Amino acid sequence: MSANTNGERQHGVESRQVLTFVLGSETYGVDILRVQEIRGWTAVTKIPHAPAHVLGVLNLRGSIVPIVDLRMRFALEHAEYTAITVIIVMSVLTPAGRRDFGVVVDGVSDVVDVNAAEVKPVPELGERGATEYLLGLVTIAERMVVLLDIDRLIGRELTAIGAGEDTEPLAADAA
Amino acid sequence: MTVDLTQFHDAFFEESFEALDAMEAALLKLDIGAPDPELINTIFRVAHSIKGGSATFGFTEIASFTHSLETLLDELRSATMPVTDQVSDTLLKSVDVMRAMLRAVQAKQPIDAQRVSDLQFDLEVIIATKNAAPAAATPPAVGQAPAPPAAIPAPTPRWQVRFRPYRELMARGNDPLRMLRELHELGEVRAQIDAQHLPPLAEIEPQDCHLAWTLELPGEIAEDAIRQVFDWAEGDCDLTIERLGAAPLAQTAQQPVETPTAPLAAETPAAAPAAPEATPPSAPPAPLAVARAETTAKADAGPGAPADSGSIRVSVDKIDELMNTVGELVITQAMLSQLGGQFEGPQAEQLRAGLGQLERNMRELQESVMRVRMLPISFVFSRFPRMVRDLAHRLGKQIELKLTGEQTELDKTVLEKIGDPLVHLVRNCIDHGIEPPEKRIAAGKPAAGTVHLDAAHRGGNIAVEVSDDGGGLDKDRILAKARSRGLVGANDTLSDAEIYELIFLPGFSTAEKTTDVSGRGVGMDVVRRNVKSLGGKIEVNSQSGRGSRFTITLPLTLAIVDGQSVAVGSETYIVPLISIVESMQLKNGNLSRLSGKGEVFSFRGDYLPIIRLHELFGVAPRTHELHEGLVVVAEGDGCRAGLFVDDLLGQQQVVIKSLETNYGHIEGISGATILGDGSVSLILDVPGLIRVASMRITA
Repeated sequence: MSANTNGERQHGVESRQVLTFVLGSETYGVDILRVQEIRGWTAVTKIPHAPAHVLGVLNLRGSIVPIVDLRMRFALEHAEYTAITVIIVMSVLTPAGRRDFGVVVDGVSDVVDVNAAEVKPVPELGERGATEYLLGLVTIAERMVVLLDIDRLIGRELTAIGAGEDTEPLAADAA
Repeated sequence: MTVDLTQFHDAFFEESFEALDAMEAALLKLDIGAPDPELINTIFRVAHSIKGGSATFGFTEIASFTHSLETLLDELRSATMPVTDQVSDTLLKSVDVMRAMLRAVQAKQPIDAQRVSDLQFDLEVIIATKNAAPAAATPPAVGQAPAPPAAIPAPTPRWQVRFRPYRELMARGNDPLRMLRELHELGEVRAQIDAQHLPPLAEIEPQDCHLAWTLELPGEIAEDAIRQVFDWAEGDCDLTIERLGAAPLAQTAQQPVETPTAPLAAETPAAAPAAPEATPPSAPPAPLAVARAETTAKADAGPGAPADSGSIRVSVDKIDELMNTVGELVITQAMLSQLGGQFEGPQAEQLRAGLGQLERNMRELQESVMRVRMLPISFVFSRFPRMVRDLAHRLGKQIELKLTGEQTELDKTVLEKIGDPLVHLVRNCIDHGIEPPEKRIAAGKPAAGTVHLDAAHRGGNIAVEVSDDGGGLDKDRILAKARSRGLVGANDTLSDAEIYELIFLPGFSTAEKTTDVSGRGVGMDVVRRNVKSLGGKIEVNSQSGRGSRFTITLPLTLAIVDGQSVAVGSETYIVPLISIVESMQLKNGNLSRLSGKGEVFSFRGDYLPIIRLHELFGVAPRTHELHEGLVVVAEGDGCRAGLFVDDLLGQQQVVIKSLETNYGHIEGISGATILGDGSVSLILDVPGLIRVASMRITA
């Protein structure tokens, strides 16, 4: 996590801001400090030999950024990309350094404060590894929000691609 | 091949001044007694680079001076000599002298030979004293005059400092000259020397201090500041500090202007030859002292002022930012142009004319920003012919220099930093690699050795190779040396690669004697450090008796490639023009299949495989029929193949962007670029592509 969160932790105030977004009927959240920008959908350039959920690359102010479809990543039903489809550009920390990537989601909901005490652990769902990229569950406005650990979710894959390995999309899980 | 070396002088001066600034900074950071080895290495490298550069350009005085300097630094580096105040002082003076020499050469004016040889003498004295008796290392310093001009009338309130060092002041590590300089920094100093106690020449002990001073300083200086200067000399001198003028005491009022003591003029010139001291000059008769002192003061003020230069250096980040902003502008402009085309009305024509102008200006802007960074590597390569010739001549070897890939463009910053490592490598090849003619002939090789410099874009990187057909690296000697230095245990066995790796350690050299060509072992660790700082790597490959090859691989931070855009389905790819042999439309007749698997076509009497890009990249093509599309005949790593595409679009220069920054390496793709409309297009790596395709066919 970022230095900021660590600093707060030291002061005993464990609260952070989370950007929530919608994917089908589920709501997910990511640390807002990781979000670089939110932009509308534009066509991507396909990249060969990429996992299916890596749609391609986009030009983000001069740097080439891979775009991941989270619906496909979570093996959810495929949705059409429309003018209201949103790309959230985030940065992940990998062993090889910081990398930027974009995730395609159905829509962005809100920025909320999440207190660490409210975060509930993720129950074991039988399948090994299926929940390891989830930080926890939290209830906001009577809805369950799944907090994602994007370093684990995306960072590892990007590193694996760099090393020439392919990652298969995971089976249905977590929700 | 003749090259006008003067075109590189500016770059050399600029680099050297910068390096000297770095050396000065490092010297100032250097702890007396417990020096940081890294700092000493930095200082050493500066001296080494300047030596190499000046030798290349034929500035023999500088080369000779830096050679002495380097010898001293080598002692420090190997810690056989402690870093004392005096050594660090002399080194700082050397920085000044080198700067002065470089300025003189730059301005095409004669070098102040006296100053140089004096200091060089000092350096050698230090080295010699170390060898004779490590403890007694204070240089002769008699009759030094401080720098200030003495002709200005004294302002009324002022300080009078009477400073009479004991004889052993210098032996205790204090240097009166330094104190006087420090005082001079506080304000204008008027000084009088009392040389009454100066013994006859024959009795002068160089390490003793025989002089005393009466100094006057402006009244506005704080007394503490003055006392601070003498802090370290406390107990080694008689010191009185009095305030004059404002509240004159009867006693002090009498002596604001003391006449110089009589024997001074007569005795000090005699002492001077025995006590060479470069800056400031040995105390000559008074009038001359003023004149010399002024010039010295000017020269000393120089180091603070940056050297003149016709160019400025800008950080890569700033240019990257600029490039990205320009890229965004181009996209906005493209959008506006599209929009402008749809307008109707009386002023639509004007709008379109304006947009057209904008487009032209944008293109020019983009090109100039790109040009800021890119230069062909010939800029670096062209300094070698002369260097190789001179070195070969001096070492009595016959060497042929081969340069290829000179037009490979690379980033200016990369280019600047790759120069020195390449000089080191080429020097090493000539000095250690290529054998003397007799030995070559005996080994059945042509008398003339070949040094080959090659540059190429390779798989998203720039590869620069320096190879020679000499004797190769001597594994046994490297290993023996490493063992003798305790780097490798006596019973450890190392692979060839591990042995070659040893040469990159700091201070590692197998040369039996040091020459001014190479052989102090400074080379390889600097090379590796420079290459690493560019995010690259260096590999060495060697075959005993056949030669060695150093390959520097640098990542493509930003490079431009001339590309041909090709369409495959809805995607656009860029094929580097350099790999294209020709593009053609296939007729049904000249196509055949190999055992039902690979498709081949005949091209100028050869059969080449066809690579269907749409299959390889998983894209839906416009057509599957070979005769409806086009075949781009491309070559890479000596192999040719036909790339089947839907259509050719156009040729353009594209900026290569790394895919690996945020994604990863893709076989057959060297990078990506951003097209005028803001979309991303992948750049094909033809050798990689041919490799991947042939693997698929055989699989």
